[in-house]
Amino acid sequence: MHFGAVQRILGMLLSLFSLSMLPSAGVSLWYRDGEVHVFVLAFVLLVVVGLLVWWPVRKDRRELRLRDGFLVVALFWVVLSLAGAVPLFLSTQPVVSVTDAVFESVSGLTTTGATVLTGLDSLPKSILYYRQQLQWLGGIGIVVLAVALLPMLGVGGMQLYRAETPGPSKESHKITPRIAQTAKALWVIYVALTVACALAYWLAGMTPFDAIAHSFSTVSTAGFSTHDASLAHFDNRLIEGIAVVFMFIGSVNFALHFLAWRRLRLANYLLDEEFRSFIWALALLVVATWLYLWASGYYASLDEAFFKGLFQVVSTHTTSGFTTADFSLWPGVLPVLLLFTSFIGGCANSTSGGMKVIRWLLIGKQGAREVRRLIHPSAEFPVRIGGRPVQWRVVDAVWGFFSVYVVVYVVMMMLLLAAGHDQVTAFSAIAATLNNLGPGLGAVSASFAALETSSKWVCIVAMLLGRLEIFTLLVLVTPGFWRR
Amino acid sequence: MSRHAGARLGRLQGDDRHMNLGAVQRIFGMLLMIFSLTMLPPVGISLLFDDHNWSPFADAFAIVLATGLLLWLPARHRRRELRLRDGFIIVALFWIVLGLAGAVPLVLTDRPVMTVTDAVFEAVSGFTTTGATTLVGLDDLPPSLLYYRQQIQWFGGIGIVVLAVALLPVLGVGGMQLLKAETPGPVKDAKLTPRITATAKALWLLYLVLTVACAGGYYAAGMSPFDAITHSFTTVSSGGYSTHDASLAHFDSVAVEIVAIAFMFAGGINFSLHFIAWRYRRIRDYGRDAEFRAYVGIIVAVTLLSTVILYAGEAFDGVATSLRRAAFTAVSVQTSTGYTTADFSLWPGALPVLLIFLSFVGGSAGSTAGGMKVVRWLLIARQGSREVLRLIHPRAELPVKLGGKPVRWQIVDAVWGFFAVYVTCFAVLMMMLLSTGENQVTAFSAIATCMNNLGPGLGEVSSNFTTISPAGKWICVMAMLLGRLEIFPMLVLLSPAFWRR
Repeated sequence: MHFGAVQRILGMLLSLFSLSMLPSAGVSLWYRDGEVHVFVLAFVLLVVVGLLVWWPVRKDRRELRLRDGFLVVALFWVVLSLAGAVPLFLSTQPVVSVTDAVFESVSGLTTTGATVLTGLDSLPKSILYYRQQLQWLGGIGIVVLAVALLPMLGVGGMQLYRAETPGPSKESHKITPRIAQTAKALWVIYVALTVACALAYWLAGMTPFDAIAHSFSTVSTAGFSTHDASLAHFDNRLIEGIAVVFMFIGSVNFALHFLAWRRLRLANYLLDEEFRSFIWALALLVVATWLYLWASGYYASLDEAFFKGLFQVVSTHTTSGFTTADFSLWPGVLPVLLLFTSFIGGCANSTSGGMKVIRWLLIGKQGAREVRRLIHPSAEFPVRIGGRPVQWRVVDAVWGFFSVYVVVYVVMMMLLLAAGHDQVTAFSAIAATLNNLGPGLGAVSASFAALETSSKWVCIVAMLLGRLEIFTLLVLVTPGFWRR
Repeated sequence: MSRHAGARLGRLQGDDRHMNLGAVQRIFGMLLMIFSLTMLPPVGISLLFDDHNWSPFADAFAIVLATGLLLWLPARHRRRELRLRDGFIIVALFWIVLGLAGAVPLVLTDRPVMTVTDAVFEAVSGFTTTGATTLVGLDDLPPSLLYYRQQIQWFGGIGIVVLAVALLPVLGVGGMQLLKAETPGPVKDAKLTPRITATAKALWLLYLVLTVACAGGYYAAGMSPFDAITHSFTTVSSGGYSTHDASLAHFDSVAVEIVAIAFMFAGGINFSLHFIAWRYRRIRDYGRDAEFRAYVGIIVAVTLLSTVILYAGEAFDGVATSLRRAAFTAVSVQTSTGYTTADFSLWPGALPVLLIFLSFVGGSAGSTAGGMKVVRWLLIARQGSREVLRLIHPRAELPVKLGGKPVRWQIVDAVWGFFAVYVTCFAVLMMMLLSTGENQVTAFSAIATCMNNLGPGLGEVSSNFTTISPAGKWICVMAMLLGRLEIFPMLVLLSPAFWRR
């Protein structure tokens, strides 16, 4: 393994990341909230650490290989999460423990949106801005990871999206050039979407600060807000509509956006089977939730039930986690149903979390194939996506992903139970963090402040596991990975 | 797929062109007539104990016999060989039909007065060896009725063993072709009857011997003959019905609990292993079986963990009591029996949920236990670690092995598929139960305990299902049947491809 090259990348990454402290410092100066020193200090600290990491290995320009890829991806989120916690820890408004600072930072960068802070409305603007910015950076990070890196690593069947480049160049495991090129295009799209979202929010009546801050956490399907009441604070259906649109866009495969952008054609979206399934799932769930809310009499009018239902379904299905109503109090099956939608999540290669629509689509088709195989034991039934047969390795990897996901979920839930939490809290806290959703049920329906330190760390691990699609971290704890 | 397989497929489909619905009907007619005979022992018990409750059973005998006869008569000459597809119908209908027939005396009796829903729930819970009940005040019920419930579970137990050992492997449900005897040639897939008959006879004998031994053990441990026999019925079948509200806690006897642990454990072992041990008089074959070793390992691990948590959480006085309660509950839950000597839903920390999850593991394949079965978990673990290794060595061939032998990819796929479908069904049924207004703890544990054929749950269903609404009970009935049939036979019947042509 090329530890030197990995170290060099992380050093560069940290130095780059330190720059993200500067906008927050600017915000602090602008609003005179007295937090400038925090961000300047964090900037200096991170730059120095980054340079110290980078300096000894600055000449190690060896090509990264497959195994290094796993290490880089896993360290990327872990290191940045720790780095991102620095200003939160340094700040005195609010005073947070190391655990809380790391929790908040991980929750931001993994675009989860679970928070341990309350009283957001009275916090310094720069801290609020910083949280939103973490999510925005996390969002583009995950898109690049998903589009450029995971297909190559083959995590959980994502080799499905590997560009079919034949020949020996694939064999040599060179990953750098493609990533750089893809990442640039994705940046442009991401920034364009964010700008559009911010403008729309502003025109709908948000202050410029709120508009920008919320656009950061909408396009990244993350869910942090600058208000305790989340989007309910604005009580404005236009704003909710804008949020729904951009949460949806954020959870569509960015490769599709890329195609639509380059060829200026929208038809490509509908040709994609995952996209169509995503729309269907959303539509069905919205209608079901709407009618359930109305029929149970929870909301008196049809249109209120519709808007609350629509917003909450889109918010949980895309794993954003914005709220316009406390859905943990909704009647009957709805709280659990909404929580389960986060297990589906958005499309692959998007900013959303969960298992992703494509995997559920494959699980559905693979399950149906198993049934057909029982009826015709010796016939061969290829699983197809978009008309093309799927490789058996992808099929295996998707099954494997599903079972490992479920097992990891159960184990982490039991850890929370062992810490003494009730079943509803434990069940929903892990679902909300593993799927990078944000709000749960029970004690974690609004914030995770009620959890004690050890449980917060369990949730931190869950957020990272979910964001890294589990296998990336599992590989690192395999002895076989480190051998030789 | 090879060319030969393609040719064989053509032949099989040719053979399968029409289902032998007549032959299926004939079998169910016979089945009902035979089943009607099981109403007679309760009549005898009723007369013996003079509990004035013999007429429901006599009436049920007549009704079930007549129904069976009516089914059988028109189809009595349809003696064609059964084929693969008929196997699915028989397997799926078997428990449904017996569940309904078994409910007849429960509806007819007026001690206790039961609704049709409750009667069907009780009968299905019996036949699927679940052990969830809607009855309270068992101690005051007529002995004939108590005996009848226990007997249902006993028949359910042997039914599932025959199903699991003889039928599911042939049908290939959820990777269970793993257990299929390695008989080469085309005979394997086409004809079901001869193998089933031969296997079933041997299993009956084995089952009977185990039951007699268990009853003897209970009697020696101090139970009354009635309790000894009735509890042996539900121990070996890993069913869990008791003749007392307090379940086995009623006896408060270490000896009784040890006998129960031993025979629940035996009931949770693959009956093929018992069969081999019996025929060759060799015990060490058990130890060679990878699934058996894992089964023992899990029981020991959970027992120790529970003991530590119970002791540390000061739920009971002293290590000895903690160990006693933990061992009994771990075995009872993993074998999906559902006897209780303590209400584990009140145990500290993660234990209640841990135990419920343990029932998802279940006993060995080919046993009377429910759940997903140890061998599937073993395979899932090995397949999962293969996927991780594959990420590190993308081009390596990494076979999944069980007992030193590589597992075929069809089985690997089927096991993954089983797991995914099982989990999805669980989530859907749980949401259905939530829709009826149950709280989350109750809904979660009720579906888990029903699908895994365990019995007791948490929350409102920790000792019985009386508070569940009728709609909720029907959802639970469905869950019990789905779990017992390993889901896929039901799904097969629902798929259009099955009925085509």
